[in-house]
Amino acid sequence: MMPSAEGNTYMSTSEQPLQKKIARLRVSFINQLPARLEQIQELVQLIANQSSHDQASISELYRAFHNLHGTGKSFGLIDLATIAEKAEGFVWKMLDAPDAPRAINWAVPLTDMIQQLREQIQSYADGKSLHHQVGAESFVQEYSHNNAFNNTAPLIYICDDEPEQVDYLVHQLGCLGYQVKSFTQTTEFRKAVMKQRPDAVIMDVYFPHGRTGTDELASIKEATGRELPAIVLSGSSAFESRLSAVRAGSAAYFTKPASPMSLAAVLDELVEYKEEEPYRILIVDDEPEIAEYHSLILEDAGMIARKIYDPSMVFETLKDFSPDLMLIDMYMPVCNGDELAALVRQFPEYVGLPIVFLSTETNAQKQFNAMRAGVEGFITKPVVADELVASVTLRAERMRTLRSLMVRDSLTGLYNHTTTTEMLISSLANAKRQQESLVMVMIDLDGFKSVNDTYGHMAGDQVIVALSRMFKHRLRSTDVIGRYGGEEFALLLKDIPDNLAEELVNEMRQDFSKIIFCSGDKQFTCTFSAGISMYPDHDSSEGLRMAADTALYLAKEQGRNQVVVSRKKYE
Amino acid sequence: MDILVVDDDQLAGEMTTAVLEDCGYRVFQAENAIEGMQVLNQQPGIELIISDLNMPLINGIEFYQELCEQGYELPFILLTGDDPEALLAEEPRLSACVMKDFTIQDSLPAAINAVMSVRPL
Repeated sequence: MMPSAEGNTYMSTSEQPLQKKIARLRVSFINQLPARLEQIQELVQLIANQSSHDQASISELYRAFHNLHGTGKSFGLIDLATIAEKAEGFVWKMLDAPDAPRAINWAVPLTDMIQQLREQIQSYADGKSLHHQVGAESFVQEYSHNNAFNNTAPLIYICDDEPEQVDYLVHQLGCLGYQVKSFTQTTEFRKAVMKQRPDAVIMDVYFPHGRTGTDELASIKEATGRELPAIVLSGSSAFESRLSAVRAGSAAYFTKPASPMSLAAVLDELVEYKEEEPYRILIVDDEPEIAEYHSLILEDAGMIARKIYDPSMVFETLKDFSPDLMLIDMYMPVCNGDELAALVRQFPEYVGLPIVFLSTETNAQKQFNAMRAGVEGFITKPVVADELVASVTLRAERMRTLRSLMVRDSLTGLYNHTTTTEMLISSLANAKRQQESLVMVMIDLDGFKSVNDTYGHMAGDQVIVALSRMFKHRLRSTDVIGRYGGEEFALLLKDIPDNLAEELVNEMRQDFSKIIFCSGDKQFTCTFSAGISMYPDHDSSEGLRMAADTALYLAKEQGRNQVVVSRKKYE
Repeated sequence: MDILVVDDDQLAGEMTTAVLEDCGYRVFQAENAIEGMQVLNQQPGIELIISDLNMPLINGIEFYQELCEQGYELPFILLTGDDPEALLAEEPRLSACVMKDFTIQDSLPAAINAVMSVRPL
C-alpha cells in the first residue's frame, strides 16, 4: 500500500478525534472477522487434505492466528485475542515439529478452537445488531410483561451472587414495570450484555469467584468502548469500594439492602437521560442562505431547526412546530424583528416563548427598545457558532423547565389536571380524524386516606410515585398519563383494541398490588380500582370522562381492586 | 515528524497510524518490508520506523537487521503481541519494543518520546 499521508488527505483524516477513529477501525475489524475466520478455515482444510507436510501453509495459518491475536488485543477484544493466542501457540508447535503433527490428531483441537472463535465473533456481531432493535422478542426475560402492547419498558440486568436479594429485587422492580433479568455470576452477565445491551445495570461488588463487579463493568466498558449505565451495590460503604465504583463509571452506589424504590428513582434517571428530546428552534429570516447557515449550526449541535422566510407565516408555524425558542432577524421587509416579537407576545400561549434577535445592531439604545418588546437576547452578526449554540441552548433549556412546571405535576412528573383535560380533547379530535379508537382509563387508589393516616404522607407519596413509575414504564410513549387529582390518575391509550386495554390495566393492577412499601419497619401493600371507557362508544370528551368515572365508581362499589369496563348498557 | 509504519495487517496499521496522527506525526504506511524500503527511499524525511514483528517473508527483526546492514541508522520500534523483553534480548540494538494491546494509545507515544529524546541531534 502506498503512503496514506499525502497533503490534504492527511490533514482531513487527522482532524477526526482519535477515539472516534479507533471506534471506527474497531467496527471495521469486527466486520472483517467472519472473512478472516473463513480464510483460517480454508487453510486448515488445505493442510488436512495434503498428504505431504506443507510448511508454508502452516506458517500462513500461524500468522493468521497471530494477527487475530495481536489486532484483537489492540482493539480490546480480549476474549477473542485469548482464544487466538491459544490457537497461535498450538500452530507454533506444529511448525516446530514438522513430522509430529501427522502423528497426533491435530485437527480436532484446532477445529475446537475455531469453533470457539466463531462463537466469540458471533457474539460481537449479535451485540452490534441487537443494539439497534432493543426489546427483540428472542430474549428470555425473567420478568416480562405483555409484549403485544408494551415495548418501552427499560431493560435492567441485575448481577448479584445472593439469590434471596436478587429474587426480591427482580420481583419488585418487575412490578414497577421494568423488564428485569438477573445473573449470579459475572461471566453469564458479560455474555448477556454482549448479546443484548441493557438500559441499565445493578451490579454487586463482591463475588466469591472471579473478578469483582466493578472490574467487570470496567472491562466491559473497555471491550465495548461504551459505558454501561450502572448502579453499584455493596455490603460495605468503604472508601475503596466507592472509589472503584466511581472509576468503573457507576452512576450511584447503594449499600445493601437497597430499597427497590430508591433504586427505581436512580434507574429512571439513568434510563430517561437518553430520551431527552432535541430543542426545537424556529428561525425567521428573509434571507434563505443566512437562515440555512444558522439552522446548520444548530442542527450540528443536535437541535431541530425550522426556517421561515416570510414573517406572515409565523403563526401557522408556531402552531404546528411548537418551538422551544424563536430566532428572529432584526431587519426584515414587511415587518421588522421587534414588531414581529410584539405580535407573537399578543398571544397568551406564546408569552413565555424565548425570542432571540440576530442583528448587526450594536447600538445599546436600539437593543434596549427591542428588549422592551419582550426579546430575551441579542446575538450580533456575524454569528460565532459556539456562541449561537450556547445562548440558544441556555434559553431553550429554561423554556423547557418552565413549560414542564406549568404542565406537569411536581411529585410524579405526570401531566397535571389541566393539561390532561386538554390532552383528552386533542387526542379525541385526533382519533376522530384518524378513525382510530381512544381508550380512557380513570384510576383511583384504594383506601389511600388510610395509608396516609396510618403510615404518614411520606409513605403516601411513595405509593403515588410507584404507581406513576409503573405507568411510565408499561405504557407507550404516545399514551398520555395524567395525575388527575390527589390519588386519581387518568390514562389515554391511543388506537388499541378494547380487550387489550382491559387486559393491560388488569395486569398492571395485579403487579401493583404485589409491590411492598416500607414505612419505618412496617410494610404494606396498596391496590387500585379502574374504570375504562372508549371512543367510539362515547364520542365527546365529557362523555368519555363521565363513563370512565361511572365505571370506576362501580369498581369501588363491587369491592375495589378491580377493573370495570363501561359498556353502553351502563348508561 | 515523519514516521514509517510497517504492518501486514491493514487494520492494525491503521490503528497505529491513528494513534500517531493524533500525536501530530505524519505517517507513511507500508504492508511489508520491501514496500517499507521503497517508501524510505522516496521519503527521505522519515525519522522513525515502527514495524510489526510478525510478517510474511521478512519479519520485523529481519527487516531491522537488513536496514542496519544497508547503513540506515534510523530508530526502530518493534510492535509485538509477544513478550517484548525476550525480543529485546534477541536484538538489543532495537530502540524499543512495544506490546500490542489496548494500551497502545498511551504506550506507543511514550516509547516514541523516550526513543527520540535520547537521540543525538
